[in-house]
Amino acid sequence: MMGDRPSPPRAMSSAPTSSPSVDKVDGFSRKSVRKAKQKRSQSSSQFRSQGKPIELTPLPLLKDVPVPEQPELFLKKLQQCCTVFDFMDTLSDLKMKEYKRSTLNELVDYVTISRGYLTEQAYPEVVKMVSHNIFRTLPPSDSNEFDPEEDEPTLEASWPHLQLVYEFFIRFLESQEFQPSIAKKYIDQKFVLQLLELFDSEDPRERDYLKTVLHRIYGKFLGLRAFIRKQINNIFLRFVYETEHFNGVAELLEILGSIINGFALPLKAEHKQFLVKVLIPLHTVRSLSLFHAQLAYCIVQFLEKDPTLTEPVIRGLLKFWPKTCSQKEVMFLGELEEILDVIEPTQFVKIQEPLFKQISRCVSSPHFQVAERALYYWNNEYIMSLIEENSSVILPIMFASLYRISKEHWNPAIVALVYNVLKAFMEMNSTLFDELTATYKSDRQREKKKEKEREELWKKLEDLELKRGLRSDGIIPT
Amino acid sequence: MRDLQGIDSLLLNELKSCCAKEYNFLPREAGLNLIEINAIHSGVSAKCRDGKVEELRSLTSFFGYRTQTFVQAVNLLDRFLTIMKVQPKHVPCIGVCCLHIAAKMVEEESNVSPTHELIRISQSRFTVSDLNRMEKIISEKLSVDPDMVTALTFLHLYHSAIGSLEEIPSIGRLEAQLKACLCRLVFSKAKPSVLALSLIAQEFEVLQSATLLKIIQQFQKHLKIGDSELLHWKELVTKCMMEYRSSECNKPDNKKLVWIVSRRTAQSLQTYHFSVPGLPTIPEMSWDESESEDSCEDLSSVDSSPCGSLGSDGEGAFFPSLFHH
Repeated sequence: MMGDRPSPPRAMSSAPTSSPSVDKVDGFSRKSVRKAKQKRSQSSSQFRSQGKPIELTPLPLLKDVPVPEQPELFLKKLQQCCTVFDFMDTLSDLKMKEYKRSTLNELVDYVTISRGYLTEQAYPEVVKMVSHNIFRTLPPSDSNEFDPEEDEPTLEASWPHLQLVYEFFIRFLESQEFQPSIAKKYIDQKFVLQLLELFDSEDPRERDYLKTVLHRIYGKFLGLRAFIRKQINNIFLRFVYETEHFNGVAELLEILGSIINGFALPLKAEHKQFLVKVLIPLHTVRSLSLFHAQLAYCIVQFLEKDPTLTEPVIRGLLKFWPKTCSQKEVMFLGELEEILDVIEPTQFVKIQEPLFKQISRCVSSPHFQVAERALYYWNNEYIMSLIEENSSVILPIMFASLYRISKEHWNPAIVALVYNVLKAFMEMNSTLFDELTATYKSDRQREKKKEKEREELWKKLEDLELKRGLRSDGIIPT
Repeated sequence: MRDLQGIDSLLLNELKSCCAKEYNFLPREAGLNLIEINAIHSGVSAKCRDGKVEELRSLTSFFGYRTQTFVQAVNLLDRFLTIMKVQPKHVPCIGVCCLHIAAKMVEEESNVSPTHELIRISQSRFTVSDLNRMEKIISEKLSVDPDMVTALTFLHLYHSAIGSLEEIPSIGRLEAQLKACLCRLVFSKAKPSVLALSLIAQEFEVLQSATLLKIIQQFQKHLKIGDSELLHWKELVTKCMMEYRSSECNKPDNKKLVWIVSRRTAQSLQTYHFSVPGLPTIPEMSWDESESEDSCEDLSSVDSSPCGSLGSDGEGAFFPSLFHH
């Protein structure tokens, strides 16, 4: 329901109306809060043909039927649930919708607690029922400029049924009686492909269920694993290089996290390729903030499995370092710190030069959050110990920027943090620090001298020009 | 080359007159001894003083103050500590105050950092008015003389005297070494003329120039510095320099620095860690995955992915083999 907004006062010089409790960031109210007043939009593409209303013959409850008859009843209920209802029309088939809902609920419970119900015939029926309900072309996004970070997502209208179908399917997969050897005839590559397409759903609840479903399938169907990995590969590559649109990146990355965690050593070449060719380029996408935490986790897991990957990973990040988006830069700095938290000292030495050249640039950034985040590295004990061991290499790289911003940065909080960092360096390696200070000062003086000489030269030229001008005018006779 | 005995007579006179004045600026030896033997909890200890001086050295460097500011500040601090019975908790205020007084005497007005900035950067707990009050006290108790004679004064004089006779490295290094020495209380017991000379002797020893040795002996003669005295301080200086040059990290002051970050950064630091995902780990089983009984529905030939098509599941390379360890 639309909330009633207070009407603006009539007076000419009226104060602007502000909606209550609007979170102002930087003086501007957030788009998402403005939109929250609107009704949550729903959408669905489950349309059925206009025709007679759906009639389902009510079946008895499973618990009311003797055990030997339950499997058959189970199949009948599954078949009934294949019927799909139109939830966009909120008034149609209300009774039958409720019947299906309660049947689904019953099936969920049944699958959870029962024993001996899973016959071979049940498998195709289960898969058919699930397929009918969940596989559909996703509706196009309502607004063309759907911004995943700011806008409210469009929710799936048939969620009351859909949720139960997902719930049922998960319990089915997790059931003690479940046998992958039978199921794999029906849960095949085609099924997985359609499942993966659903990850583009705007409804986060659906994606969450899909995540669990795919995770279980990956775990139980060894023959499908390579296929799943390949398809996820394709999705990501399309996302990065073609469309930059896919809503389920975070969920897929979360699944990948649990897969990477379980990699056997030594790592297969295929996995290393995936890291370098897919995961690193994923960092370049504009909507990185939506899945960065999961992505960073995957990266760190890789490095914990195989530390020799550190160099290509960090070089990759440095290559794709954000140049125009400060929010992304802060994310990169966070990820880098997590990587450094687990880095081996021998690997650190290999990349310290390009790494600290970048950190030196970040520290001098006029964007105070970037500078602050970079300076905060010096509060990390492990990083400090690595810097200490290699201070003779790192200090010269950092020194000039640190010293300069201690004098020039506009933000006093940054200046205070720089003091902390300089002090740490002073304690680490006094001689080098003093040498660098001396060189810096003499360089500065030389620059000032040059600057002065240049100015004087220009002044001389100006004077010459004036004199020449006077002579050519003929005002002063030669 | 000038005759060895021609240490510039003007400089020599200057040296002698400084020598005469240096006693005025010496901290009381008895007081220094007291500090040395003080255990940490009963009054100001050597460790407390040294830690404070280290901090002043950092601040000097940070604010771009000259060495002279630092040296004078340390002198004021030492002299004050030896004539007043001071509680350790006041040492931070006294230290920063001395630095400020010295800066006002030595630096150009525009270069002197305002007191609130000084307090903010040094993460001190006292206020600007505390600092002002302390300044009055110190000025009353000590004769604050902008022309005070310190080891640096002598260092400069020695250096210019020698520099006109021999090729020597610049004074920058010597100044840095002096600053390092002054961070140890023991060197406040030395006469400035002796301390400066021992620094020079120690530094130029490596040059092994007979000429320099003779010049140093000349200084000794004119300023009445005994051999044993010079040797004693030279040894201590050498030891100190070894530690200064060593690559071991020196953290004298255990005061942990405060890292103040903005609210947004603090928030992002907290919410950052995606530590344990909700999904349990799926172990990879290499032998199972290479066999595939599902190759009948191999759709990889259908999709036009940039990766190229896959052979049977798990066996084909995903990418052309660019990447092999």
